[in-house]
Amino acid sequence: MVETTPAAEPGVTATGFGRVLVVLYAVMAVGACSRSAVQVSTRFGEAPIAYSLSAFAAVVYVLATVGLARRGPAARRLATIACTVELVGVLAVGTFTVAVPSDFPDATVWSLYGMGYVFIPLVLPVLGLWWLRRTRFAG
Amino acid sequence: MVAPLVVALVGGGLALFVLGAVLAGLGKVPGRVVLGLAALLEVVVAVQVVWAVVSLVGGYRPAETLVVVFYLLGVLVVLPLVVAWSLAERTRWSNLVVAVGALTVMAMTARLDQMWRVTGG
Repeated sequence: MVETTPAAEPGVTATGFGRVLVVLYAVMAVGACSRSAVQVSTRFGEAPIAYSLSAFAAVVYVLATVGLARRGPAARRLATIACTVELVGVLAVGTFTVAVPSDFPDATVWSLYGMGYVFIPLVLPVLGLWWLRRTRFAG
Repeated sequence: MVAPLVVALVGGGLALFVLGAVLAGLGKVPGRVVLGLAALLEVVVAVQVVWAVVSLVGGYRPAETLVVVFYLLGVLVVLPLVVAWSLAERTRWSNLVVAVGALTVMAMTARLDQMWRVTGG
């Protein structure tokens, strides 16, 4: 490999298409946070695991939104980790809810691969990771 | 919810979504039509929210009152925030940003209308 661009800086994620991504993530973050806040504060005892997972997903969306909206290597790392966790989460919870339907009422954004949110939770991390890769270097 | 307003918000949201997506596809930056439509939609949202708040203060209690209140707050701020974000960097993508906001208003209104009808335990 020939290094033609020494000291390549990471590119900005919150520009162009990235700004659409930030809005999608922000909407999911607010939605997941409010949903989770209601679940945890009013009926946490009913399904502690599902509602904890719901809260965890909400935090992941917030971190991904912040990571994608801000510039710099730390923000990029945060966004990459958050999107990866999100992808693993939606696949794991999605598969689990399909396999064992009764244990997870539609309690998290990731249940049934995010069907309750028109599969946005499934598409979003893929788009996020693709965009992070695409904008790895400035210019 | 007030049926004509719900219809206006769902229909208007869908129209703005399609318009924003098409204009983004054509490579245009947001102009008067998109911003005007967004402003108009926000006025309808505000009327709907005020009506809902008056009903809640008047004693109407949907089953999920807390969630309804979250939705009312959320739906009110979506378009202003999204338009501000879209104007901070004006490219074709700004139109898609507004389109996503319009779709969000549409989805939230539909869900709100659904939750509003369910009362009691």
